[in-house]
Amino acid sequence: MELDARGLNCPEPVIRTKTAVEKEKPAAVSVVVDNLASQENVQRFLESQGFNTSLSNKGQDFFVFGDREKIPETIPSAVKEEGEEAPEKILVLCSTDRMGYGDDDLGKKLMISFIKTVNEMGKDLWKLVLVNNGVKLAIEGSDVLADIQALEKDGVSIMVCGTCLTHFDLMEEKRVGETTNMLDIVTAMHLAGKVIKM
Amino acid sequence: MDFPCDDNVLVGLTHADDAGVYRVSDDVALIQTVDFFTPVVENPRDFGRIAAANALSDVYAMGGVPKTAMNLVAFPSKQMDLSVLRMIIQGGIDILHQSGTVLMGGHSIEDTEIKYGLSVTGFVHPDRILTNANPRPGDCLVLTKPLGTGIMSTAARAGLVPEDLYTKLVKQMAELNKAPAEIMTRFNISACTDITGFGLLGHLAEMIHGTGTGICLGANQIPVMEKAAEFADMGLVPAAAYNNRDFRQGMVTFDEAVNRSTRDILFDPQTSGGLLLAVHPDDAKALVRDLTAGGVKCAALIGSVTPGPEETIVIHPSHS
Repeated sequence: MELDARGLNCPEPVIRTKTAVEKEKPAAVSVVVDNLASQENVQRFLESQGFNTSLSNKGQDFFVFGDREKIPETIPSAVKEEGEEAPEKILVLCSTDRMGYGDDDLGKKLMISFIKTVNEMGKDLWKLVLVNNGVKLAIEGSDVLADIQALEKDGVSIMVCGTCLTHFDLMEEKRVGETTNMLDIVTAMHLAGKVIKM
Repeated sequence: MDFPCDDNVLVGLTHADDAGVYRVSDDVALIQTVDFFTPVVENPRDFGRIAAANALSDVYAMGGVPKTAMNLVAFPSKQMDLSVLRMIIQGGIDILHQSGTVLMGGHSIEDTEIKYGLSVTGFVHPDRILTNANPRPGDCLVLTKPLGTGIMSTAARAGLVPEDLYTKLVKQMAELNKAPAEIMTRFNISACTDITGFGLLGHLAEMIHGTGTGICLGANQIPVMEKAAEFADMGLVPAAAYNNRDFRQGMVTFDEAVNRSTRDILFDPQTSGGLLLAVHPDDAKALVRDLTAGGVKCAALIGSVTPGPEETIVIHPSHS
């Protein structure tokens, strides 16, 4: 397998090599880069994957050759599984403790059902932001407190508006999430892949 | 070059120190420093925080207290929304508040890529200036933050750093060196610097350059960020680490038992790294104890200043 990683900055040559080695599982590989640091890094990557390596230079081209006898079944990866896509980063903004308009009792039931079901978004669910009446979902006695705590435990970031907690005098009652401010909320919206407003 | 200078310049350009120091009176000297760079993390507010912590660090490293600051901004306002710039500056303000430094103004220019940093002025008593020069032979060396931010940032760009470790990385880089700087004033310190682009070994080399002293380190005692060694072994080492190694390797002797990833980490360029202190051996344990108690959790005794061989840094697996 041959790979041309010239014109790429660190760590790109290593990433290209890693992707190619994981996909094609070659017994021998030749990588060309255009600087010594990338050459050393690619060499180290190949050695970490069980290749024997050698180097050669021709003008501004720096080569790394690798070969190995054993081809591993799967190459351990620090985080990402092969083929796994990056999560979508969905931000759910709850500015109320009931869903929709009309009957308030129905609205409250629907909201409970929503919070209990929102984990179906899986890893794509990035943040749950509670503002205005929404902060009442995160306090002592809330019907969905345990569900929100479970979301937080699963790695969903729970942001609770500090101004709102103060307004309702509920700061001491908050039982889940991080107290936050408008700038953090705006930053989170800015960085989110998708914002869903309730 | 013929640098303008007068008798009140207490620390100037001669020893590549962290900041300049100018005597105003017998009791007060000004510390001046400036630092800015291109984004090191994706989140604009975190970038602002890190850039500010980094700029303020030079004042702390001189034994001073930062007082005033000015923003330096380059921003592509035609390609990018101004809200991004506001978040960067807000991050800087967060850290200025933490440090008790006031913002006096700043200057911005149009540029093709974002750059942000600060010019910082601090005060120090002229008799209490700490420079990065002249560590005493026999002094112990204490480091206040773990190493590895360069390697971890490279791995993060490759998408390989788990979220919890990435959060730790950002938090560490945005952490002020204020607490260790305050605590160290109670101890007998001969030299101090902050670890930045030259890596631990580059800054140690500067510290002993021209002093006739050497350094002995215990690799196992040096605090290192989780997974940094693993990422180094995968070839996620920034080119600057190799440059640091090539520049200083003549001064450095590694024991055979010190593995390759550790060697890279010792040369790894740090963003907003910790303070490196040379402390009298009688004070070393108490200093580390007070640092740990004062919230500087990773503070560690990593080695000592030796009377010779001069200009030589020896790294053993462990330091006695």
